[in-house]
Amino acid sequence: MIAIAPSFWLFLLLIAPSAAAILSLVPNARVSEGVARAGALIAFAAAIAVLVTNASGAWGPYLGLDSLSDVFLFMVTGIYVTSIWYSRVYFRALSRPFLTAQVYYALLSAFAFAMIFVLVVTDLGLMWIGVEATTVTSALLIILERKPESVESAWRYTLIASAGLTIALFALLVLYTATGTLNIYQLAANPPAVTLPIEMAVALALVGYGTKVGLFPMHSWLPDAHSEAPSPVSAMFSGVLLPAALYAFLRVYRVLPTPAPAVVSDLVIAFGAATALVAAFLIQHQRSFKRLFAYSSMEVMGLAVIGIGVGGVALYGALILLVAHAFAKSAAFYCAGNVLRTTGTNRIDEIRDLRTTLPWTSGAWVVSSAAVTGAPPFGTFLGEFLIVVGAVAVGLVWVAGVVVVAVLVAFLGVNSQVGRMVFGEARAGTTLAPREPDSGWGIPYLNAAVALAIGVAAIPYLSDALRSAAVFLGGALP
Amino acid sequence: MDATAEVIALVGIGILLTALYLQSESFVDPLIRAIALQSLLLGVLLGWLAWTQRSVDLAILAALAVGVRAAFIPLFVLRRQIRAFRWRVRELHAAHRVTGHALAAVALAIVSWFVFQETLASVFPQPGAALPFILLMQGLLMLATRSNTIVQVIGYLEEENAVVYAGALFSQGFPLFVEVVVFLDVLGVVLVGVILSIQRDVTGSPEEAVLEELTG
Repeated sequence: MIAIAPSFWLFLLLIAPSAAAILSLVPNARVSEGVARAGALIAFAAAIAVLVTNASGAWGPYLGLDSLSDVFLFMVTGIYVTSIWYSRVYFRALSRPFLTAQVYYALLSAFAFAMIFVLVVTDLGLMWIGVEATTVTSALLIILERKPESVESAWRYTLIASAGLTIALFALLVLYTATGTLNIYQLAANPPAVTLPIEMAVALALVGYGTKVGLFPMHSWLPDAHSEAPSPVSAMFSGVLLPAALYAFLRVYRVLPTPAPAVVSDLVIAFGAATALVAAFLIQHQRSFKRLFAYSSMEVMGLAVIGIGVGGVALYGALILLVAHAFAKSAAFYCAGNVLRTTGTNRIDEIRDLRTTLPWTSGAWVVSSAAVTGAPPFGTFLGEFLIVVGAVAVGLVWVAGVVVVAVLVAFLGVNSQVGRMVFGEARAGTTLAPREPDSGWGIPYLNAAVALAIGVAAIPYLSDALRSAAVFLGGALP
Repeated sequence: MDATAEVIALVGIGILLTALYLQSESFVDPLIRAIALQSLLLGVLLGWLAWTQRSVDLAILAALAVGVRAAFIPLFVLRRQIRAFRWRVRELHAAHRVTGHALAAVALAIVSWFVFQETLASVFPQPGAALPFILLMQGLLMLATRSNTIVQVIGYLEEENAVVYAGALFSQGFPLFVEVVVFLDVLGVVLVGVILSIQRDVTGSPEEAVLEELTG
């Protein structure tokens, strides 16, 4: 049997989406879609191969893999492939899209490439370029539906995310001047002494990358972009773009020893707690179901950041939460896309009795909504539970309390609204006949099933990689 | 003081003054010309450093500062956005609190200087090293307090100037710094050249509209 070198999978991960981005520009829309699908499938297969072989090591000065990148690659390519698949259903229903199908698929593939690039480079400067590239490639995708709101959202997204990333770049300048390198393996092998400039660099990176993660108070682009983007793009934003930015921060954070200095970890926890609480309470006031899920993503990112700040078992919980949330939230956004296409509105008050109109989509929406808000036995529940356990274990009872409050408030807010739309009685004469689309409802079930499987540790290689990644980051296992 | 130190100090003061002017102006056209001047000053400084150090990287950064951020984006792309009504475009929401902006900018500059001295001065011991950090904070203030989209682009350009200023002066050897700056410029062009144009086509104005769907 021929052994395939891990570097082969790594290069395949980079080549498949970039080739798809270029080749998708062929004149024929159906060929373009086929090319994009093939690229996404190949990238996903390569990510699975990386996960199964537990690939790790550095290839040259700029590329490398470890357990943390393996986990994130599975997550990013998983949502990439399902979003590409779902795009056909969504794109077909658009009357006058701003982009042609070819440009749409090219940008979506380039967007995925930028995220994969972030995960496989070992230089923090290149990682920063990758995160910035996600902005360039995804900004135009938001405008697909050609609405004034979409343009305004794309504008806010580009400007606020880029402003944040210049702060992150300044952080890297400080880090480089203090240490003389930006290579993550060199920094790990020769960790710098903890000085005020290093702590300042990490704090600036938190603010900079935190802007892209959607941390309060730099979050204002997030609900707009997530709600105005087409649903497959919203799924990629919520499911994997935010975690990819958080990954970049994690790499900077890892420069610090374990446990991190209290002043920095307290700052991280404070940002996470403020984000989770603010988002959980804002969820209660949403009138658009896509904004509802956008704020839910913000709440989950806040919880994950808390887990990173607390460290130990909570860090392991944060990783599980991120992966499970990616699949659950993408499922919720695909369902939201079906609902939007069928009803023509995203106003919660105008939608009732979806169980009659969209029986299959409704089922998936109820399940995925429960999953994103941490209902047991989904992986999100396991992740949030471990964050609470981790916080209590290190004596941060108030942090555990914040997590519990945020989770409960968000759970009630999201599920009551979805429940009203699915099970609420329609006004007399407004009931629509069943209009379930031929396709597009199966993918949400698939992704919700993955979120469930993560919760019951039924994906062997992924479970192992998650444990390795937590240990690699200095976390602890239960 | 040697010639290079004098040039750094003089140009640094000029850049700081343009940053404070940007905060105190509400008319858009003078703001565009002020950010062009700031980028030009930065370009002159980078050009001087490139000449004295015989550095190709710094020469490229100087060319980008002058070509893209002093000329192309402000004078070609941004001014085209307000071509029809150049002399009366002002930021209405900001106009009545310009004095407050200016005072806030000065206060922020002083606070930024203290923060820099307390936290980062040991890494950047050079005289005037706090200026890029102050400039970064001024750019953020502009982005946070202004609502006109063109003025926000100017805030973004100021932030980019700050990063280039810091990188070129104090962090030479930063890997791929030229590439990073090229990338930032590409983003700047995408920002103003594509999205701003689309915004004008779709909404009919570069001004921010009140959009019901984006509330909550």
